[in-house]
Amino acid sequence: MNIDHHESFQHMIDESLAGAISAEREQSLREHLGTCAPCQEYLSASNKVIVGLGGFSFEVDPTHNARVLASLRRTAQRVQSAQPRRRRWALISVAAVVLTMGGSFVDLQFGRLIASVFDIQRMQVQQGLLAFWILPSLCVLLLFPLLPLLSKAGTHREERIV
Amino acid sequence: MESDTRQIALGLRRGDVVVLEALVEQYQYRLVRYLIYLLGRRDWVDDMVQETWLRVLERGSSYDGHSRFEPWLFRVARNIAFDAIRKRRTLSLDSDDDDGRVRPSPASNEPSPYTLAARTEDAERLAHSLQTLEPVYREALVLRFQEDLSLQEISMVVGAPVSTVASRIYRGLATLRPQFEGEKA
Repeated sequence: MNIDHHESFQHMIDESLAGAISAEREQSLREHLGTCAPCQEYLSASNKVIVGLGGFSFEVDPTHNARVLASLRRTAQRVQSAQPRRRRWALISVAAVVLTMGGSFVDLQFGRLIASVFDIQRMQVQQGLLAFWILPSLCVLLLFPLLPLLSKAGTHREERIV
Repeated sequence: MESDTRQIALGLRRGDVVVLEALVEQYQYRLVRYLIYLLGRRDWVDDMVQETWLRVLERGSSYDGHSRFEPWLFRVARNIAFDAIRKRRTLSLDSDDDDGRVRPSPASNEPSPYTLAARTEDAERLAHSLQTLEPVYREALVLRFQEDLSLQEISMVVGAPVSTVASRIYRGLATLRPQFEGEKA
């Protein structure tokens, strides 16, 4: 049996160990291994490497585990406490949108009616709605989305433990 | 298995601390071992393990539960390790190496983590060769033979084609095999 022939089967042994061999080639390898001492030796040495890799036991400091868990709990707590705040910002923003649109709607639909009921000019109604309804809700709409962004920087990241 | 991974995915999406604690208990040692194989040193590993779990908490929603949890976890740990190596390289360009490469192995006077962790005669024989082996080969070996990941899963962890992963395993084995050649089975 020539060297190339062994090399080909030894490559198949590597493939088999890596889980990259077809069933057909595996069968052919098994048959060859039954009769070939050099390839058996190659397989045995490879298996000893694999068994040897299982002979290491790395130490894990149990106090480090405890610190990791504590750090995770703190971070999770912060993330969870930030969630209702975010929901509150979202609700306030939605309310501001509704109020802004509502003010504009009232002005367009009922401006003339209000002016006649209170015996004032239409322009005065418009100014009143703008000053006490539309502009405040517009301010809320524009400013509130910025607040969570400002507070996020302080709450986002957990400090590292030493 | 599928229902376990679904439970994990669901727990991570909710940021459920109980699920996370169970995962830490279950995977901590394997995470430590993977990072030691990847880095070839012990002293950076604890920080990276902690970073990894915090990243799991923050980005847990990206785990979909369709595949096993381990490859996803190791992928996260690998990214953390490479980020840290890059950061340290930037911080210590003049002091660490002349060529700007960080060699993730301990200083020569420190015993290697493999020497310290060897518990069998075979492991003792492998310890030195493992220390000098390229990290990508060590990584492929630990993922295949200790974590029992498939080539496809390893490919997902390391972000390389399956054929590359396979050849890393072959070369890793080829480097370590001479330690045991010429012995009776």
